Order: sequence, then C-alpha cells, then structure tokens
Amino acid sequence: MSRPILLMFGVLLLIAAGLGFYAYHLRAKVAAEERRLTQQSQVVVPPASGPTSLVTLYVAWDQEGGLRRSSVNVALPQERSERARAVLRALLGAYLQPGSQHPIGAGSDVRDVFLMGSDTAVIDTNAAFADSHPSGVLAEELTIASIVASLNAGDPQITRVKILVDGKERDTLAGHADLRRFYRANGIGQILKDAQ
Amino acid sequence: MRWQRLGAVTIIAALAAIALFAGAPYLLPHNTVAAQAPPVPQLSVYSPQTFYTVPLLTVSGQPYVGLVELLEPLGTVDARPDGKKYKLKFTPPGTREMEFQFQDGKENGKVKGDKIKLPSNFVIQAGRGYVPLVSVNELLARALSTQIRLSPTARRLFIGNIGERLTLDLRKGAPSKLFVSFDSPVNPTIATEPGHIRFTFKREPVIATVDRESYTDPLITGASFSEHDGMAELDVTGTSPLMANFADGGKTIVITGAPPPPPQTAVMQTPLPQANVPQPTALPPKAPAGPRFLVLIDPAHGGTEIGSAISPTLPEKDVVLALARKVQHELQSRGIAAGMVRNSDIAITLDQRAISANAARPAIYLALHAANSGKGVHVFTPLVDPANVSSRDFLPWDTAQAAYLELSNAIAGSVSAELETRKLPNASLAAPLRPMNNVAAPAIAVEIASPSGNAEDIAGPAYMDQVAQAIAAGIAAMRGKIPEVRP
Repeated sequence: MSRPILLMFGVLLLIAAGLGFYAYHLRAKVAAEERRLTQQSQVVVPPASGPTSLVTLYVAWDQEGGLRRSSVNVALPQERSERARAVLRALLGAYLQPGSQHPIGAGSDVRDVFLMGSDTAVIDTNAAFADSHPSGVLAEELTIASIVASLNAGDPQITRVKILVDGKERDTLAGHADLRRFYRANGIGQILKDAQ
Repeated sequence: MRWQRLGAVTIIAALAAIALFAGAPYLLPHNTVAAQAPPVPQLSVYSPQTFYTVPLLTVSGQPYVGLVELLEPLGTVDARPDGKKYKLKFTPPGTREMEFQFQDGKENGKVKGDKIKLPSNFVIQAGRGYVPLVSVNELLARALSTQIRLSPTARRLFIGNIGERLTLDLRKGAPSKLFVSFDSPVNPTIATEPGHIRFTFKREPVIATVDRESYTDPLITGASFSEHDGMAELDVTGTSPLMANFADGGKTIVITGAPPPPPQTAVMQTPLPQANVPQPTALPPKAPAGPRFLVLIDPAHGGTEIGSAISPTLPEKDVVLALARKVQHELQSRGIAAGMVRNSDIAITLDQRAISANAARPAIYLALHAANSGKGVHVFTPLVDPANVSSRDFLPWDTAQAAYLELSNAIAGSVSAELETRKLPNASLAAPLRPMNNVAAPAIAVEIASPSGNAEDIAGPAYMDQVAQAIAAGIAAMRGKIPEVRP
C-alpha cells in the first residue's frame, strides 16, 4: 500500500477514535442532564419571596391517625389563589421533609389552584403527587383532610375543594380515597373531630 | 490512481460506518432501548422452601440460565470468574460446600469433583456464568441429591418431591358442579369469557395427571390443563357462562354456572363497562324467596391491582382476601349468611363492586382493606351528607349510601365496641372511600394495620383471627336491629 493511503488510514483511525470519544462524552452529558432533570422534578419550588406571615397548617400524623395543628411562616403573595397555592406547598413541603410523620412521594407538588366563585378551590396537583402517594384508606384520607383543612384555615371563605391530578379528574388518590367529589370543609371537620 | 482514490473513499465510508455503529448505542436514550426490548423469558422454580423466577438468556437460539441466579435462593453462593475459567462454591443449608468448575466455550466441567458434560458450551457473559437450561436437571440432581423435574418448554422447574396435584370431580345435577381439589390452598388468577373460565397458577407448583377431560354434561363440557411460560393453566369449558367459588379453605375450587342477572334494583346506574361480568343466561322461573340477612364481604383490590405493599412480598390484596375468608367463616359459624364480592385473585373495578353489592341486596356491605402504615384497626363509615330520603326511592348513584348512613354508623359502633372488648387498638371515622357511597345498603369498611407497628405482623394468624371474630361479633350484635332484605 502506498504512503498516502497509509496516511489516510491513520487520519481516519484518528477520526474514528475521536468520534468514539465524542459519543462517550455525549452519553455522560445525557446522563448528567437526566440526573439534573430528575433532581429538579423532586424539589418543591419555594414559595414566593417577600414578607412572611404565620399560617396554620393541619398536618397528618400516620401513627396517631389524625391531624395536628401547627403554625409556620410562609411568604404569601397578594393574589388569593397564589396564597392558597403557597399554603399547600408549605404543607406538602412538610410531608416531603426527611422524618415526616406522613411521608408522600418525592416530587409531589401543586401545579395550580383555581378559585371558582368565592368558596370553591380546584387544586391541580402534579402526577407524582398521586402516582407515588402511599396507598391506604387512612393515609389517603389524611392527606385530603389536611389539604382541605389547611386551605380553609388560611382562607375561611374556601369551603369546597376539588383535587385534580395533572389537570384531569381521577377516580381515587392511590386506590382508595375518592377524587371525583368535592370536599366540604365542614365535612372534613367531622374527620378532624373524630381523628383527634 | 483512480482505483486508489476509490479505495480510499471506500475505506473512509467503512470507517465512518464503524464509528457510527460503535457510537449509536451511546447516543440512544436509555429508555428508548428499554422500551423496545422484548420481555425476558423467565424460569419458574418451585422448591420446598421457596418459589422464585430466574431470567433466561438466549445464546445461539438456546435458552441458558445463570448459575448464581439459579443457586442463590437454595443456599450460599460464591462465584469467581477467572478469565475464561469459572468457579462457583455452593453450600446448601445443612450440607458441605461443593464446587462447580466450568470454562467459557467448553462443554466439559466438574461438579463436586465429578466430570460432567453439558449439552452445549458453557458461557461467561459480563462475568456471569451460564449453563444450558436443559442441563439444569442433571446439575441440580448432582448438587442437591434430590429429585428434579424440569419442563424446558413450559419453563417450570420442580426441586424435590414437590407438586400440587389437582384432581377433577364432576358432580352432575341442576346445575352440575366441577370440583377442582388441591392438597393445600391455592390462589390463582381467574379470567372468564363466554363458555370459558381459566385459572392461571404462577406461584403454586400445580401439576395434573391428565391433560384433558371431556364431559357429557349439559353445562360443563370439558377441562384442559397446560403448562407454558412458567405457569400452569386450567381451562374449563361450558355451554353457558361459568363462575368459581373457593371452598375448604382455598383447597377446592367449585365451578358451576354463573347466576342469572339480578332483578332490577332501585339504584339509578349509569351504563358501565361489564368486561369482567359473565354474560347473563336465560332467567329460569324462581320461587319467591323470603327476607334474609346477608353480609356481603368485599376484599379490596385483586389481580393486577395489588393495593398497598404491606411488605415487598405481601400485597394488600392477599391480606384482605385471607381476612375476608376468616370473617366469612366467623359469620357463618354464627348462623349468618356471608357472600364475597371476590374469592380469588381477580381484578374488579370499583363501579363493578358497587353493582355486585347492589345486585346482591345485602343487609350489610363490608369492605376490607389493609395498610402498611399506622397501627391497629380503623373502622370507616361513608363520608356522605345524610339525606332525608327513603331507601325505597330511586337513589342517585353518587350518594346512594346517604339513606343508610344512620345504620352504617350503628354497625361501625358495634364493631368498634367488639374490637375494644378484645383490646385491639382501633379508631372509627368517616372516610371518602369508594365505592361505599354507591352502595344502597348499610356499609362499613375495615382497614387493618399492624398491631405492633411492624408491617409484617399484620398477617399473623392470631391477630387476623381476633380481628375477624370482632367484626363478626359486631355484625351479629346488630342482626336484630337491621331489616332483613328480600332477595
């Protein structure tokens, strides 16, 4: 074989090695990007910045089978539906903490809160909230009860609550609790009283 | 010169193609590869101690099985690949350590120092040693010194004298009944379609002495048994829809004709899919029946819908089915008729459960659940606004329960009192649990959690017995206070 051909061979081998290295590098980059996206989806974005206010949360305790009242400082926006969302994110944030007494699935979040009229809130949760929620009558009921009670405590005008998952209606939260219905704050009061 | 250039161009193209092929797997997103991968075939292994499955590898068109995956559930394994050589030390419980020696690409090897010739070459892939599936019989027989039965086509392996023999006994009558009996309780997946009822046994080492039986019967015409894909399947054929009930603590399956459709109930129902409901047969004339007190037990979940995972190996659907059978037994021993919405591992939708309950017209509907968190027993009543309507009126589907709420609360109170008497930790509260609100009968749900906080204690026989007795006693105490219902 002539010298130019051999040279060409060498160059091509270098190109092939370079391509292989580039592909390997690209794979590592894709994996890092996937990791970053996963981590991002597991983090609940902190509520709006600004001055904080003391809000009442009703936090579920699995072992007791009831809700405990607690107060936390949350930065609350001016707009009513955003305030409701901030309260719910603080509640879910408490459940997502390590050592939570009522753990829920990583990445659970509230996408939006829509107010219909003055008394009805429609909460749009993300898919992770329902897909990874622990399954059980009591566990699911406590989550719903704590959401409704905390919303009502933060804005007493909100007396009816409906929960959507990823913008759609779902039969149950995780196989048990009915998500097709509207929940009334006074109906939840019955659970609170019974569970205490 | 021109040929030299053409040669160079050809080489460039070839090298570029090689580089692209080499890089392609790295460039593809991982989930794309996973989504296109066909399901890995599995070998089902039944041993006296355990049941497990082992993935199979296809090498040159032949199924191979990993030695470590095969032996690990049966004892201690220490595998050491050394280049092309492969050594594995295996110690079954209570016996001495033995050694397997093989070489990649060679048929000959050693087990416990004795020579063995595999039907095809031993293979090492990614540091793991694989033997041909058909050689497993001889390998295990030498290693374990016990009887081994392998069905390579069905992908089922039986270690030791294990095998759940099924026997068929057709008892003719009106209607005829086919009794399928086993030595111990079974829990198959059941599928029905017009003229067929199929039982699939995955975890149980079910075997049969005959593959096919034909009957000259107007209802049940035959039964066939087959083994495939790591499972056993019993297919019973009939001239009309068939249904199955479990008896003798799950050791016997009684197959007979499905009942005719129930009379129209007063519950307003929207049309719903009826996929799992057998097709109705012609209505035979029926003598009017008197009122009766029936408790309908609804073990939650089933089939692919497992409910919560009490432990990695214990799904909620199995716990509640076991509890339901105990409650049924306790009720029957107190002279109370008790039926089950499901008595096998079958998936039923929430709406279908409510339809079954309303069709059965029970005096009490009892849903059973189990949880992997919390402690003790929770008794739930429906979370629905009480309605000032008579149970004889047409009832809205979503709030059919409202007319029965008072009775439901009374039953929950009675069951809670019995739990309290037995010193079982318990609480009673209202819950938005489906499908209780769609049931036009007094209804409660019971969710059991571990008595100790350790989730696995939930299935302890003593605890389950106590809970079942408390539920049955609570219901029995209410018998005189709840109106019996005409079927």
